[in-house]
Amino acid sequence: MTTEVVGESSRARRLGGHVVLGLLSLVCVFPIYWLYATSLRAPQDVSSLSVLPWPLSTASYTEAFAKNDVLGMLVNTGVVAVFSALGQLLVALLAAYAFAAWRFPFQRLLYLMFVGTWLVPFQATMLPNYVLLSRLGLLETLAGVIVPTLCSALGVLLLREHLNSFPKELLDAARMDGRTSWSALWTVVVPTLRPALAALGILLAISAWNEYFWPAMVLQRSNAVVQLGLRSFMGTEGNDWGPLMATAGLACLPVFALYLVLQRHIVNAFVRSGLK
Amino acid sequence: MKRTLLAACAATLLLATSACGLGSESTGSEGPVSRVPELKPDQKVSIVFESYNFGQAGAWTDTFNELIAAFEKQHPNISVTAQKPQGNSANPATDTISSLQSQLTAGSPPDVVQLGFSDLDFTVNQLKALPLDDLVGKDAVQANFDGEQYPYAESARTLGDWNGKTYGVPFVFSTPMLYYNKQLFTQAGLDPENPPATWAEVRDAAKTIQQRTGKGGAYVDCLTKAAKDWCFQALVRSNGGRVLSEDRSTLTFAEEPSVEVVRVMQDMVKAGAMPNRTQMQAVESFARGDLGMILESSAIQGTFLKGAGDRWELGAAAMPSFDGKQAVPTNSGAALFVFSKDAAKQRAAWELIRFLTSERAYTTIATKIGYLPLRTGLVDDPDGLKQWAGENPYLEPNLKQLEHLEPWVSMPGANYLQIRDGMMQAVENAVYQGADPAESLRSVQEEATGLMQGGGK
Repeated sequence: MTTEVVGESSRARRLGGHVVLGLLSLVCVFPIYWLYATSLRAPQDVSSLSVLPWPLSTASYTEAFAKNDVLGMLVNTGVVAVFSALGQLLVALLAAYAFAAWRFPFQRLLYLMFVGTWLVPFQATMLPNYVLLSRLGLLETLAGVIVPTLCSALGVLLLREHLNSFPKELLDAARMDGRTSWSALWTVVVPTLRPALAALGILLAISAWNEYFWPAMVLQRSNAVVQLGLRSFMGTEGNDWGPLMATAGLACLPVFALYLVLQRHIVNAFVRSGLK
Repeated sequence: MKRTLLAACAATLLLATSACGLGSESTGSEGPVSRVPELKPDQKVSIVFESYNFGQAGAWTDTFNELIAAFEKQHPNISVTAQKPQGNSANPATDTISSLQSQLTAGSPPDVVQLGFSDLDFTVNQLKALPLDDLVGKDAVQANFDGEQYPYAESARTLGDWNGKTYGVPFVFSTPMLYYNKQLFTQAGLDPENPPATWAEVRDAAKTIQQRTGKGGAYVDCLTKAAKDWCFQALVRSNGGRVLSEDRSTLTFAEEPSVEVVRVMQDMVKAGAMPNRTQMQAVESFARGDLGMILESSAIQGTFLKGAGDRWELGAAAMPSFDGKQAVPTNSGAALFVFSKDAAKQRAAWELIRFLTSERAYTTIATKIGYLPLRTGLVDDPDGLKQWAGENPYLEPNLKQLEHLEPWVSMPGANYLQIRDGMMQAVENAVYQGADPAESLRSVQEEATGLMQGGGK
C-alpha cells in the first residue's frame, strides 16, 4: 500500500464528506427557513409553495399578538425553564455529591432506584403525578408545571460520573483544613464542576422550554406557556398556519439567542449527555 | 448489570400496572339519579365547563368567553370556570375523552363537558354521563328543545339520546358538503353553476379537471383513519348500508354496500381523479386553489374562504348521491353532557346548557364562529340570523341537508376506538394503497367483532 493513494483518496473522501454534510445541513435548515418564510407571508398566501415569501407581511405576527398574550407566554415559559433547570441542578448536585463522597448502607440500591426512575416512561407516572398535584392544589399553576420535574435522574447520573472522577484527595484536604462537607461542596466541588454544571443547566433549560405534554396536562384553563399557545392555533376547524408559524418563530428565538452566546457549552452539553 | 436491568424492569412494571389500575376505575357516578331541586335565590354555585372550543385561539375562545360572561350576568349566583381538554393532540377535540377520564380518576370531573357523538356509547355506558331526563325531568328537556320561539331541527333533537333518554343536548355540528373551485371548473370547461350531484358525475368532472388543468380532481375526506368515520358512515348510508346493525349487536361494515363505496372511491384514485393525499394536504391544497373539489365538513369553510381570498371563488353543493339513491348525510359535532356529583352543581350545569343552546346563544355562535344554528328557524328571523344567512350563500345547501340527516353512530363497547380506527384503516388501505376492498374490510370486521364481545359491559 502506498501512502500517496491514501492521501489522494482521503482528500476525495474529505471533499465527499463535506458535500454530504452540506446537503444534510441544508435539509436541517430548510424547515426552519420555511417556518420564518411562512410567518412572513400575507394571510392569503400562507399555503403558497413559492420559495420566497413575497410580498412580505407582518400580518401573521399582528394576528398572533391579538389572539394570544405572546409576551406573557414567553415570560412564563422563561420562568418555568429557569426554575426547573435550577431545581434539577440543585437536587442532582446534592444527590451526586452524596453518592460520590460517602459510603453508606444500600448505596448501590438507592443509586439503582435513581437510574430506574430514568427508565420509567413519563406516561406511566403522569396520572399519579396529576392526582398528587390535584390534592396539593397546584393544578393550573406554574409551580405545578415545575415541581414534578425537579428531580432528574439524568442530572444525578451525569454529575455522579463527573464526581467519581473528582480527586478524593481534594476532599480529604478540605476536611483537614477543617471545612464541613457542606462548605467543601460549595468551595471545592462546585467551582471545579462549573463547566459540567453549566452544560447540564443549559440542556435542562432548553428541554424545559420545549416541554409540551406536561404543561398541557397541568394548565387546562389557560395557555400560560408558549408551547401551549402554539397549539391554540390548531383545531377542529383547520389550522391557522400564519400566527402558528409566527408564534413558533418567536418561541425559537430565545433558544437561538442562548445558542449563539453559549455555543461551546451547548455542544459540550449534548456531547456529554449523549442525548439530543 | 443484569441485576440493574432487572430492578429497573420491575420498577417500570410496578408503576405501569398501578397507572393502569387507576385508569380502569375512571367512571362517573353510579346508581340512580334523582331529580335535582331548583337553586335557592341566595345559593352560590361554581361550576367548570370543559370544551375543546377553548383550545383554539381567536373567534372560538373569544365567543365562548363572551357567552359565559353573559351567562354569569344573567345568573349572578353561578360562576363558571372554562377549560379546554388536557392532552397533547394537535386537535383538542380528540383529547376530550382521555381528559375527562383522568379528571374522573382524580375525583373532580368538570360539570358540563362538550363531547363528540362518536363517543356517545362510551360516554353513557362507561363514563356514566348523567341522564338529563332524570336530572331535570323529560318535560324540561323537551321544553328546552322547543325553545322560546324556534325549536331544534327535528333530526337534531335525539342525537344525544340513549335508550330513549336524553343524556346530551346536541350543541354544535356540521354536515359533509361538496366544496368546489369555480375557477377550475370554468378553466376545465365545466359549468360552475351546475356542480356534480352524483358520485359518477364527481368522478367525470374530476377527471376532466385533472386532464385539462393539471390540478387535482376531487378529494373525499372520509376515507382515512385520521378523518374518523363520520362521513364514511354518510357514504355507506347513502348507498343503502350501515356500519353497525340497528340493534347495535353486529358490525356490518364488510357488507356489500360498504364494499361498493370503497370500490367506487378506490377507482377514483386509480383513475387519477382523486389525488393520493392525507386530509391535511388535501385541505391545504384546496385552500391554495390546486384541487377542484373536496367533500369536507362545513366547519372548515372558513379556512377555504380565507385561502380563496379574491383569487378564486368557492362553490358549495350538497353531498353527492349514489345513482338513483337518496344521499344521507351524517353529522359531525358534539353535545353537552353533565358529570357533576353535587345536586346544586347539577342544577347549575343544566342552567348553563339551557343558556348555551338558547336562541340568543345560537345567534352569537353562528355569526361569530359560523357553526350551524340548530334552531333553524333563526335564519328567517330579521332580529336573528336573517341578515347573516343572506350574506352566507353556503348556508342553504347545508341547512337543506338536515332534512335527511342521520346520526353519526358511535361504535359499541369499551373498545369502540379500536373498532372505529380498524375499520377506517381498512378503508384507507383499500382506497389509497390498493388493497382489495372486500377482503380488507372482511378481515378487520372479523377482528373487531371479537373486540366487541370482550369489550362491552
